[in-house]
Amino acid sequence: MPLVDVQGVSKRFGGLTAVSDVDLTVNSGEVHCLIGPNGAGKSTLFKLIVGLYPPTKGSIYFDTVDITNERPYARVQRGMSIKMQAPSVFKELPVRQNIQIALQERFSGPERSAEEDRLLTLLNLAPDSDKLAGALSHGQQQWLEIGMALALKPQLLLLDEPTAGMSPEETFKTGELIKSFNAEGMTVLVVEHDMAFVRQVAQRVTVLHLGKIFARGSLETILQDEKVAEIYLGKAHAH
Amino acid sequence: MLKLLEGPQTLGRGKVFWSCFLAVLAGALIYPAFADSYDVGNFSYFLIWIFMALGLCLMWGYGGMLSFGQTLFFGIAGYGYGVLAINMGGGTATIAALVLSVFVAMVAAGILGYFMIWGGISGIFFGIVTLSATLVLAFFLGQTAGPEWHIGTARLNGFNGMKGMDPLAVGDFYIEGSALYYVMVALIVIVYIALRMLVNSSVGNVIVATRENPQRAEMLGYDVRKYQLLTFVVGSGLAGLSGALYTSWGQFITPSSIGLPAAAMPIVWVAFSGRSDLTATLVGSFLLLFGFQTITIYSQQAALVLMGALLLATVMLAPQGFVLGVGRLVVDWWSRRRRPDTGPALADASRLQSDET
Amino acid sequence: MSAELFSVFYQFADVFAFLILSAAGLAIVFGMMGVINMAHGEFIMCGAYVTVGLVNLGVPLPIAQILAALTAGLIGIIVEFLVVRRFYKRPLDSLLATWGLSLIVTQSMLLIVGSAVRGIGTPEGSFAIGEYTFSTYRLVLFGCAVAVLAGLYIIFMKTRFGVIARATMQNAAMARALGARTGRIYSISFGIGTALAGLCGALYAPTMTLIPTMGATFVVESFVTVVIGGANVLLGTAPAAVFLAMIRMALNASYGQIIGQIGMLVAVILIVRVLPEGLSSVLVRRGR
Repeated sequence: MPLVDVQGVSKRFGGLTAVSDVDLTVNSGEVHCLIGPNGAGKSTLFKLIVGLYPPTKGSIYFDTVDITNERPYARVQRGMSIKMQAPSVFKELPVRQNIQIALQERFSGPERSAEEDRLLTLLNLAPDSDKLAGALSHGQQQWLEIGMALALKPQLLLLDEPTAGMSPEETFKTGELIKSFNAEGMTVLVVEHDMAFVRQVAQRVTVLHLGKIFARGSLETILQDEKVAEIYLGKAHAH
Repeated sequence: MLKLLEGPQTLGRGKVFWSCFLAVLAGALIYPAFADSYDVGNFSYFLIWIFMALGLCLMWGYGGMLSFGQTLFFGIAGYGYGVLAINMGGGTATIAALVLSVFVAMVAAGILGYFMIWGGISGIFFGIVTLSATLVLAFFLGQTAGPEWHIGTARLNGFNGMKGMDPLAVGDFYIEGSALYYVMVALIVIVYIALRMLVNSSVGNVIVATRENPQRAEMLGYDVRKYQLLTFVVGSGLAGLSGALYTSWGQFITPSSIGLPAAAMPIVWVAFSGRSDLTATLVGSFLLLFGFQTITIYSQQAALVLMGALLLATVMLAPQGFVLGVGRLVVDWWSRRRRPDTGPALADASRLQSDET
Repeated sequence: MSAELFSVFYQFADVFAFLILSAAGLAIVFGMMGVINMAHGEFIMCGAYVTVGLVNLGVPLPIAQILAALTAGLIGIIVEFLVVRRFYKRPLDSLLATWGLSLIVTQSMLLIVGSAVRGIGTPEGSFAIGEYTFSTYRLVLFGCAVAVLAGLYIIFMKTRFGVIARATMQNAAMARALGARTGRIYSISFGIGTALAGLCGALYAPTMTLIPTMGATFVVESFVTVVIGGANVLLGTAPAAVFLAMIRMALNASYGQIIGQIGMLVAVILIVRVLPEGLSSVLVRRGR
C-alpha cells in the first residue's frame, strides 16, 4: 500500500519546468531512493513532497490524505519527518536543546531526558551535548539533524542527500542507522548522489532524468538497466 | 513548575543568583521606609517602563522579532485606560479599566501581528511596519484637538493630551505613593518570574528555535507563525501594561509618549542592556531610566542625545549589550575566584559569546 | 469638466511627488545594500535647513536647493564611511545605528537651533483653469519627482556605474570577484540616497515650517512606499507610489489628510498579506 502517492505532479519556475508530470509511490515499510544526474529535478520533487512550495499541477497524497496544499508543519504532524540537504540546525542553541525541541512533543520529564541521552549516544554526540550546535563539524551537524528528524519517530523519514560532506565511514554508519530504523518499520525516502550509499540502503529506486521519471524498479533491475547506466550510473562508476 | 525558573534561556541560576535576587527584592521592599515620598513616586515612575522593556526583550531577544512599535501598544492601552476610566467612573472600576485596556492592546497586536506574520514580514520590515503604524497613531492623536474628537465623555485633546481620568483605586482608596510603588514591585516580580518560566518552558524552546531557524522549527511540526504571534501579543500586552500604568500614574497621556523619539526608547534600553536575557534587560533598563530621568531635569534634549549616542555605541562596540557584557565579566571573575570546576553561577558564557547574529 | 479632470490630476500629482521624493533615497539605499537608513528623515531636514539658510543669505532658491542636495549627499558619504559600512552584514544593527544617529542629530538641532526657524514662504505663482486655481510650485514638485525617476533610470540603466551597481545588487561577491569595487559602489549609492533625501527637504522647505523634527513628517510615507515597492526603485517604488497616491488621493479628498495616511497604512498591511514579496514581484515576475 503506498504511503506516499505523487500523482501527475509538475513544477514550473518561470519558463523552466523542473519537474514534469511525475508519478511516484513510496510503499509502507520500504527504503526508496530517488536518484538521477544533477539537474534531474530530485530536489524539487523532494521539496514538493515536503511542502516547501506548491506544485504547479498534480496532487500528493500521504496515507491516502490529500496533502497537496498543506504547509510543511501540518505534513510533519501527519507523520513525516524531514532532513534537508544543507545542515539545518539551531546553531546558537546547545546540541541537547536541539534534540529536546524535537522530542518535547512526544516526551516530558525524566522520560524525555532518558530519550535525549539515548539519541545523543546513538548519534555519537553525547560528549558534545553542551556545545552549541553551530560549533559542531559539518558531518556532526548532519548527524544532529538526522537525530532531530528521528526524534519525531515518523512514519516516513525524508532525507535529501543526508551524507553530503560525510566521510566514507560516517556515510556507512548513516546507512546502517537508516536500515536499523527501517527494520523497526519506518518508511524512508532518500534523495542521493552517492551510489555506494544507495546500494547499501535501497530496496526500490526511482531514476529521475530531465524532470521526468526515467526508470523505476528494484535496486537490482535499476543497476542492470543499461539506459540508466548510460545517463547516470556510468558516470557515477567513473568517479 | 519551579524547575522552569532556571534553564538554558535565562542567565542566573543556583543559590548565589537567587540570594542576590532576594536581597535586591528585600532592598526594594524596605526602600519606602527610608526615602521621602517624592523619591518613592519617582521610583514608581521608572518601574512603569520596565514592563515595556521586558516585553521587547521577549520579542526581540528570544523571538527574533524586532518591533519598533512598542509605544504603539503603550499608547493604545494608555489612551484606552483613560477613555475607560473616564467613562466608567473612578473607584474599583479603574482596575477593570486597567485590565481591559491591556486586553485591547493585545487584541490590536493580534490583528496587526496576524497580517504581518502571515504576510511573511520579518527582519527589518517588521521594524519599519510597526514603526509606521506607531507614527500614524501619534499623528492621528495629534490632530484630535477639536471637541468632535471624543469617546464617550473622554476628550482626546490633540497634542495637549487626554486628562481627567482617575488613578487606580480600590473603592475610596487611591493606589498612590507607597501603595503604588508596592503594586509596581509586585507586578514586576510576577512578570519577571512568569517570563522566565515561559522562556524556559517547551513554548519558550519553540520561540527561540523560531528565532534561530524558522524553517527547521516548522519541519519539526511547529506552526511557527502561531508562536510568533503569541510572542508578539504577549510582548505588546506588556507594553500596554506600561501604558495603562503610565496614564494612571500621571493622570494624563499625550501623543508624544507614542511618536518619535519615544518609540526609540525601548529599543535603546533593551539593546544597551542585552536583549538576549531578561535579567540583563531588567537591570539595564532600570539603570538607564534612572540616568535618563536625572539628566532630563536639566535638559530633555541632552538626555535624548545621550540615548542616541548610547544606541550607536552599543551597536558599534557591544552589539550584545553592555549590561550583559559586564555581567559576564563579573561571572567570569566570580567563577575564577572560586574553584574553576564548580561552574559559573550564571549559565554558560559561551552561548553569549558566539551569539553574533 | 476639463478643469475638474485637471484638478484630479493635480491632486494625484501632489501626493505622487511627495511619495516619490520622500522614498527615492530610502529605496536606493535599501535596494543596493539592504539597509534601511533610519536617519533618512534627518537628511531631509538637513536639505531643508541648508536651503533656507542659503536663501536667507541671498542665494537664489533653485541654486540653494541643488547645493542643499549636494550637502546632504556629502554628509551621507561621510556617515557611510564612519558608521554604515560596518553593518552591511548586520542589516538590523544598521537600523539601530542610524536610528541612534537620527536621535543625536534631531535633539542636538533642538538644543542648538531651537524649535523654529524663519521659513522662506512658498514661491508665488498660481494659475487658474475654470474656477480652480492651482499652485505652480506644486506642479514643479511633480516635475522634479518625474525628473528624479528619469535621472535614476539613466544612472542605473545607461551608465557604466549603473551596470556595475546592478551587478553588485544581484551578487556582490561575484561582482567583487570580477573586479568591481563594491565598497565604493556602496558609498556612492548611499551618497545618492542621502542626496535625494536632501533634495526632498530642499524642495519642500518653502512649503512647510522648519523644525528639527520635520523629518518625521516624511518617514511614514517613505517607509510604506519602500515596504510595498521592494528593492527595485524603478519597477517597485514608482508603481508603489502610483498605487498609494491613488488611495491617498481618494481618501484625502473625502476624509482629510490623516484618514488618507491611515488608509494608506492599512492598504500596505493588507497588500503585504496578499503579496508577501511586494508589488515588484508581480511586476518583475521572477520565478522562484
